[in-house]
Amino acid sequence: MGKVKIKKKSTFIDMTAMSDVTVLLLTFFMLTSTFLQKEPTIVYTPSSVSEEKVPVSNLVTILISSADKGKVPEGKDATEAEGKIFISFSGGMDSTQVAPVIRGKMLDEALKVYNAQAKDSKKIALTDAQKKVFQETNMLGTSFEYLPELLSKSLTEIDKEQGDMYNPNTGIPIDGNKDKNGHLNDFQIWCRAIYTVSKELHDNMATDMGLTVDEAKTLGDLYNAITKDGTGIAIKADKDTPFTTVETVFDNLQTMSLNKFSLMTALTSEEEAAPAKH
Amino acid sequence: MAEVQEHDSGKKKKGAQKKMTIRVDFTPMVDMNMLLITFFMLCTTMIKSQTLQLTLPTNEKVQKEQQNQAKKSEALTLILDTEYTDNNLPKTDEATGKTVHNVYWFAGLPDTTFQTNLLAKESFMGDTKENGVKVQQGIRKILREQNKDVMTNYDELKAQWKNREISKETFDSLAKKNAADSTLTRPVVIIKPGPNTTYEALINALDEMQINQIARYSIQLPTHTDTLLLENYQQRTGETVIRPTVRKSVVY
Repeated sequence: MGKVKIKKKSTFIDMTAMSDVTVLLLTFFMLTSTFLQKEPTIVYTPSSVSEEKVPVSNLVTILISSADKGKVPEGKDATEAEGKIFISFSGGMDSTQVAPVIRGKMLDEALKVYNAQAKDSKKIALTDAQKKVFQETNMLGTSFEYLPELLSKSLTEIDKEQGDMYNPNTGIPIDGNKDKNGHLNDFQIWCRAIYTVSKELHDNMATDMGLTVDEAKTLGDLYNAITKDGTGIAIKADKDTPFTTVETVFDNLQTMSLNKFSLMTALTSEEEAAPAKH
Repeated sequence: MAEVQEHDSGKKKKGAQKKMTIRVDFTPMVDMNMLLITFFMLCTTMIKSQTLQLTLPTNEKVQKEQQNQAKKSEALTLILDTEYTDNNLPKTDEATGKTVHNVYWFAGLPDTTFQTNLLAKESFMGDTKENGVKVQQGIRKILREQNKDVMTNYDELKAQWKNREISKETFDSLAKKNAADSTLTRPVVIIKPGPNTTYEALINALDEMQINQIARYSIQLPTHTDTLLLENYQQRTGETVIRPTVRKSVVY
């Protein structure tokens, strides 16, 4: 009878396989990820049964801020933070249409429209450095008057200032102007600029490629997206935002004849098809 | 796997060669990877937002004759309203956790003598199942009833698609054609969001249009007549329907 030998077992666990798995997972996430675009404020979109996806490229997003649900500064009302408007643009997938370049063109065009209708004392001019800052920011919302001052700041400062919904300089001014050819408000100037620039790009692209008008219609560019399919402009608003606030934006878009657009929502099933839980 | 066997140079006692194993500990590597994975998982948007297409008429003046007038028999008006708490926040239903949206509706033309076409109150409700059959509730039931010609065809098409008789593309195009078929009796829905309505209520209403395959609808602001109808509803039922506008409204 031999003694029962107790074998000393090492507690060392081989982590190689585990490491392999994690690296694979990591690769997957790195390749599939599209980073969340930085937005000045967080909105919770309402849910809908519509299954159409938000396009990745050629999209103008109009963000409407919601009433502050967080900590409200003393002496302020939560609804003061509501209805601030921001515009962002993401460019085409095509390398010839890089977003910053188009953003720069839009800025130039918008300034042209603004200066044409502004009084002499209110006309603005931007330096190249300021324009560069504009091209680098994803989403901006401020009046034209304040634009030079804002763009003189550093990117971090701009982020901080734009994130403050109580700041009177935050948000693109909007009013009830209904005359397309009259004195446009700042929001309408941007709309006009987006339209003009996208049309210009569309026409140039068509001539460059030697296409006829009919053939050019099939180009998957911003111009078609905003005039034909209505996928080019997306309105992103919080589910608790009052309709009147959203209506103002609708109305301004209608005035500028950009009456086809989409509303950003989150998916829900037909069975639920009602507001999501808070 | 993570071991490398190495021969010791054997300077130890007895001069015997001793096998030594060098093991690389991968634990920190895994830790780091996990952290990175967590980072990427949190930063990515796996679920993309959806969009809802909306086409509005232009603001340009349209000639009276060119305007589409809804036929008396086809019109259906929905007046939307959201309830608010004393704290100026949208009121949520305790049982479901959903915001309380009311829909006041009437068919046909408004009757300011309050004899016919009176307002009725409904809400946005999802479907339930009774004995395995889908049952519509709330405003959806009413809209479905109004649009039953289209919905009957639509359900047939849907069944065909579910049974894989037709492709998704064919189904989509046929469904679109069906919803726009002018030979069928179809309602024209007028959505009127009241002053207290939230954006969510509007989306819900637009959703119902899509679910019930209603091709013709418009969004309008409530008129004085609508207020009169709401006042009448208030008198009839004793409920408080007209409340002061709680949120600031945008200055026009």
